Amino acid sequence: MGAIALSLWQSGLFQQELLNPGGWNQFRRFIGASIHPDLSAELLRLTLDASLTTLAYAVCGTVLTIFLGIIGGIFASEVWWRSGVAQSKHSLISPWWLSIRFLLAVPRAIHEMIWGLFFVNLWGLDPLTAVLAIAIPFGAITAKVFSEILDETPRQPLQNLLNSGVAPPIAFIYSLLPQAFLNLLSYSFYRFECSIRSAAVLGIIGAGGLGYQIFLSLQSLQYEQLWTFFYALVVLNGAVDFSSAWLRQKLGCASRLDLNLTQAKRRKYGKDGGNRADGEEFQPQPSTFSPCLALLQTLKSKISPHAILLGISLLLLPFCFWYVRADYRKLWAPRTRQLLTEVVQASFPPDWSIAAQLPWLSVQTVAMAVLAIALAGLGGMVLSFPAAHNFFLPGGLLNRGRQTEIRTLLSWAMLLFVRIFLLFCRAIPAPIWALVVLFVLFPGILPGAIALGIHNLGILGRLKAEVIENLDFRPLEALKTQGAPSSLVFFYGVLPMTLPRFVAYDLYRWEVCMRETVIVGLVGAGGLGRVLTEQLSSFDYRSLVITLGGFIVLTFGIDWISAQMRRSLR
Amino acid sequence: MPEPVFELRQVAHQFGQFPALVNINLQIYPGDRVALVGSSGAGKSTLLRLLNGAILPTQGEVWALGRNLSQLRSRQLRQVQRQIGTIHQQFHLVDNLSVIHNVNAGHLGRWSLVKALLSLIIPQEVSTAQAALTQVGIPEKLYTRTDRLSGGQQQRVALARVLVQDPIAILADEPIASLDPELSREVMDLLRDLSQQAGRTLVVSLHDINFARSHCQRIIGLRQGTIIFDAPTEQVSATMITELYSLELSETQGVTRGSLES
Repeated sequence: MGAIALSLWQSGLFQQELLNPGGWNQFRRFIGASIHPDLSAELLRLTLDASLTTLAYAVCGTVLTIFLGIIGGIFASEVWWRSGVAQSKHSLISPWWLSIRFLLAVPRAIHEMIWGLFFVNLWGLDPLTAVLAIAIPFGAITAKVFSEILDETPRQPLQNLLNSGVAPPIAFIYSLLPQAFLNLLSYSFYRFECSIRSAAVLGIIGAGGLGYQIFLSLQSLQYEQLWTFFYALVVLNGAVDFSSAWLRQKLGCASRLDLNLTQAKRRKYGKDGGNRADGEEFQPQPSTFSPCLALLQTLKSKISPHAILLGISLLLLPFCFWYVRADYRKLWAPRTRQLLTEVVQASFPPDWSIAAQLPWLSVQTVAMAVLAIALAGLGGMVLSFPAAHNFFLPGGLLNRGRQTEIRTLLSWAMLLFVRIFLLFCRAIPAPIWALVVLFVLFPGILPGAIALGIHNLGILGRLKAEVIENLDFRPLEALKTQGAPSSLVFFYGVLPMTLPRFVAYDLYRWEVCMRETVIVGLVGAGGLGRVLTEQLSSFDYRSLVITLGGFIVLTFGIDWISAQMRRSLR
Repeated sequence: MPEPVFELRQVAHQFGQFPALVNINLQIYPGDRVALVGSSGAGKSTLLRLLNGAILPTQGEVWALGRNLSQLRSRQLRQVQRQIGTIHQQFHLVDNLSVIHNVNAGHLGRWSLVKALLSLIIPQEVSTAQAALTQVGIPEKLYTRTDRLSGGQQQRVALARVLVQDPIAILADEPIASLDPELSREVMDLLRDLSQQAGRTLVVSLHDINFARSHCQRIIGLRQGTIIFDAPTEQVSATMITELYSLELSETQGVTRGSLES
């Protein structure tokens, strides 16, 4: 609370004129255009092309991300080094493990946007820029998450194979990887959703696609076109979110990232083991891992989610790689190496003159992230309840008893409306929101925080709705059958059960917000982000090294605080 | 006398401050069927884990198949471990792979990486796996997902894997502790048959003394990390067994009770 109040004060809320009355006219025009978007054939063709570009960037980026994530994840996992090193009987954690963890932490701390701007300096506006800008930071994040998933997977089967003389790599492939497969897959889907949003943001720095078109039409005040692109982006995001949720549900992995559930999960594993040992514990679970067997099963049971997955990837992947037409030769072209060495040379010796400003800029950045997450967290929580399908709908927890048709209709309408609202919030990239907010506010960290807040509200609202949908309803039913009124069921049952997970998600998004302050910095929203983007576009590498260093240290600090707070929640 | 399959020379093993095994001397010869008995925490599991090289002793020497395990490099150790099959109470199978892959895991010590990978897509050596499953009595489960099997069936899959591995010695750590009496008998019969057919050595830790008597030729009684008796089955009297457990009760009721649980 104190942090939020301080941040509000920081943002200058009580100090100066914030509202820009001159912008209201523009804002009204902007809103007005939403009901009559430009639907001319020419623009629709452009929209389709831009949407495909964005999708293709996301797909290619995700493929590389997962590739890097698997390799990095295995080498960053404790269990790999333990099982490999245990052979030599020195079961100390190897220095390799620590250095790999550190190596992964740096690209993770830097936002896609910074990577994008950096690659633009190297290769210009090549599609390769967009794909790599997604793949490198996401690959590092994915590697971290994959390594955690691997470390949390039960190890006895692996140990069993190792003890019967199987070489560690093979033992890994036959025990840990298939066991962790569902979790890995589910996280990969989540990453794909993130990639789509990221691909749109990268458009803004000129990489093409929907983000680019939106930025152009916003700059040239073509609001009718702007809304066409908005709707396309929303549809694209909605389609990806929906299909990913549907596939995950079909595959039997409901929640995509369990931040605070590790202990509960372990307990469950233990219990399951016991049950199974007792005898008949047949679960109607999804089918086998092996794609070939999955194909066989398709013949048996019409549609298998594996077959769908396989089919989609077989069609979509080559298409997207073909559509992007990135020039991969640039990766190992001598010119790239030459440019890289030039950049390294240009950044030494570092220019320390910026250092004096760093503390102040850091405070601004943190204030922006705190404000954003306060807005997103609270708003997301309020909206998550109407967005969950098991709450206000007929037969849901808070809506039992006789139903009139009008009430049914109303509750469905509310669910639909809230879900579309959340989708809209998260589909539009934060810098675009920032530009929209700038119609009515003067530049500063408050508009930046509001923009980040709106974007994250869309994400958190959905994550929290999923938490609610996965709740164990038995304790709540018990309360209800005692005759407790709905409001008490909420405060005695629902809130205590959901709040820790909600806060865990808030803290997690807070870390992300810290990194995302960079992208609203791009449109002048202040903090370290603005300085970073300025330095990058003016090739001022000597100061950049210092600012970037400060930013990385700051994100590490925030991650640490957030991790501590999350741990105390368990 | 032939050379022993397993030999322990003055072996002691400690977990931190807690001595799990103290001064163990032991020889197990080819074709022996040995039962380890004693209450929980007596050191049975530790002994088995020493035999298959999962842990190395803090003192003394463990020899398996004529090699001193402490002095082997990891590759050599793996070669020894390939000849030793292990079965656990909790099966330790990979739940969401189908049965064939869990059975084929018995080949992994011999297979190349490429072949192991290929087998996950197109199962290799299906006939061997099929034969092994037939022998343990569940031939129809070849392509079923492992976690859909009952406990007894999963233990059979673990047995089939050991069959495919074709080891010289089989170690079983309380293989029947979570099965009902009928299934227990079937699994113990299978273990005995596997051992008799190819003259494989069997070392099995058991809680049920009757199975030790009916299925093994030799019984080793452990208590608090030391060997109390080591005798052919027919020489193990009812009093020896009662003493093994009763003495333990009176002693463990003292201070050490908590630490023994671990």
